Amino acid sequence: MNQPSHSSHHEGTEVRTLSNEERAAIDASTRGPVILFIGSSIFWLVIGTCLKVVADWQLSFPSLLDFTALFTYGRIEPAQSNILIYGWASTAAFGAGLWVTARLSRVPLLHKKLLISAGIIWNLGVIIGAAGILVGDGNSIPGLDFPGYASPILLIAYALIASWIIITLCYRQPGALFASQWFIFAGFLCFPWLYATANILLVWNPVQASAQGPIACWFLENLTNLWLAPVAIGTGFYIVPKLISRPIASPSLSVLGFWTLILFGSWTGISNLFGGPIPAWMMGAGVAASIMLIIPVFSIAMNLHLTLSGKYEVMSWSPALRFTVFGLYGFFFSGILATLLALPNFHGALQFSDVFAGASLLSLYGFVSMTFFGAIYYIVPRLINAEWPCVTLIRCHFWLVLTGLVLALSALLLGGLLQGFAQFDVASTFRSSIEFVSPFRFLSAIASVLFLLGHLSFAFLFVLMLLKTGKSHSGPALLNEPTENSLETLAV
Amino acid sequence: MNKLPLLFTGILIIFGAAWLGLVAYPVSNLGHLQPLVDEDTAGYFPPSVAGLAVAGQKVYASAGCVYCHTQQVRLDPTSTDIAKKLGVRQTVPRDYIRDKTAFLGKRRIGQDLSNVGTRIKEANEFHQYLYEPSSVTPWGKMPSYRYLYKLTKIVSQPSADAIQGLKGPHAPPTGYEVIPTEDAKVLVAYLLSLNKNYPLPESPEPTAK
Repeated sequence: MNQPSHSSHHEGTEVRTLSNEERAAIDASTRGPVILFIGSSIFWLVIGTCLKVVADWQLSFPSLLDFTALFTYGRIEPAQSNILIYGWASTAAFGAGLWVTARLSRVPLLHKKLLISAGIIWNLGVIIGAAGILVGDGNSIPGLDFPGYASPILLIAYALIASWIIITLCYRQPGALFASQWFIFAGFLCFPWLYATANILLVWNPVQASAQGPIACWFLENLTNLWLAPVAIGTGFYIVPKLISRPIASPSLSVLGFWTLILFGSWTGISNLFGGPIPAWMMGAGVAASIMLIIPVFSIAMNLHLTLSGKYEVMSWSPALRFTVFGLYGFFFSGILATLLALPNFHGALQFSDVFAGASLLSLYGFVSMTFFGAIYYIVPRLINAEWPCVTLIRCHFWLVLTGLVLALSALLLGGLLQGFAQFDVASTFRSSIEFVSPFRFLSAIASVLFLLGHLSFAFLFVLMLLKTGKSHSGPALLNEPTENSLETLAV
Repeated sequence: MNKLPLLFTGILIIFGAAWLGLVAYPVSNLGHLQPLVDEDTAGYFPPSVAGLAVAGQKVYASAGCVYCHTQQVRLDPTSTDIAKKLGVRQTVPRDYIRDKTAFLGKRRIGQDLSNVGTRIKEANEFHQYLYEPSSVTPWGKMPSYRYLYKLTKIVSQPSADAIQGLKGPHAPPTGYEVIPTEDAKVLVAYLLSLNKNYPLPESPEPTAK
């Protein structure tokens, strides 16, 4: 942390450095709120994964816990996905977004107690929402299941959190905005728009159901494309250059990736209703946007590769870089997969198969979650001035979730292809579609146990870390011996 | 790109365009559809729905049926839904005007239910299925909804509501019967009402090849 790597940014010649004192003041101001957000996101990650394990096993063994309404698949499934979206990914996005914004704007957060209250209110909203789904008040709108009485709580908390991001950006030290800041700003601007629109039109005062299909698709897809993805990319684009002490390779690719992601990303959702009850022009627009989405996907991935090329070996010892880079490449692969699946012929055959569940796993887990894991590995040691206490746990976390991801993804994609074939082929019965996919569902249920084990090691590691706050200052927790002297003294 | 207001305006315009197309357009153009009058019977298409069936939608949402069952018959020829007899024609926005929430669904872990009311016509059959799905389709993956039913002792004579012909491990022992709760009754009323095979001019039935 003592070297001026921060100044080697991508905005050209101007040099901006933070003295150690300034950086310490900023980190002291973000410590409370960011630790609260990250800590609660890890809590929800564990809870959500437990429910996911139950839901995935129920797909293989439908009689599991079928004696009570509370644990029926139709409630466990939305509960786990909403907990993972709002409890884990969004809460982690708040933590990472706030920290990166404060660092890059080079001003401390003001009135952090208000921000801490906002974090508590947000978590309260997630608790009420998840409990609401389990007791049967869910809306049965994917991604928007939290009942109408929980979502206002989330929106109120959100308004406070987003205002802090925007205030911090407005009062930043004079100078240009970094690519990371554009992405994070866009995410924090789009989320309330998405969430309020969807709640008003689908939950609080529902419009006629004939108009709901496009709105629900627009909401669900943009929840990833315009909220989680920009914040994850913004965070990744801050962490990667810092860890390898090298600026983002191409500012113009950043500009291209940013604007095309917003432009095409906001239209792709509707392609999920191809052939469904929507006007023909929407189907066309959705497919076109999904195909054009490869522009931001390629420009962001290319930029990342150019930045990292020759420095990939840092991944072998730095857990933060390893997770972040896997995550950002997850964005690349999920973008390619989404484009392929939007092509009408693939879509018609596979739309209701497990292939789409695999695609959403790849984007929400392989991309968003992995990137936020990397961000947490980077941010937390800097906030509490201690190194990660146990390398074995980091290793367990990485290999368990990576194995889980590869296993679940191959099972869902292969099983889904067979299932989709049986669903499409006129001569096949519905029964054969279930029988084809069944062994693969069992594999993905095993994979979700691996996820759970990985997340438990991560949570345990985080708790150990908190217990150690402010104490010992041993060397950084590296996964392997660095092959060269890294410039970062805290190279985690 | 270096000024916050510029960035803000850019995002506002681009995201706003998608919002106009995918949110405002459907609300103003698809959000006020009326049923069509059937000239032969002076009834309506889609037909109005009984109060019980409307109440059943709530149970359908609360049990999360939508996570395994779709309710859409898609366009030919990119899908084979019509050839697979999920419905006689593609479903269009007007088909959903009687619903509170459009249960379009994302995954077919179970069958499409757009027209399930034309395939299963007896309430008792639905009750048997919901109570113990594995006794009807042992290969299926549907969980039991026993929580929507009450196992009671037959007092003097069997209740008229009791489900007939239950088999399998959860069938009532002699002297007992299974009575559907109010939720089970309205859910079945809703499922029986699912029938989108009436004609609509905007979605003609494809002619046989």
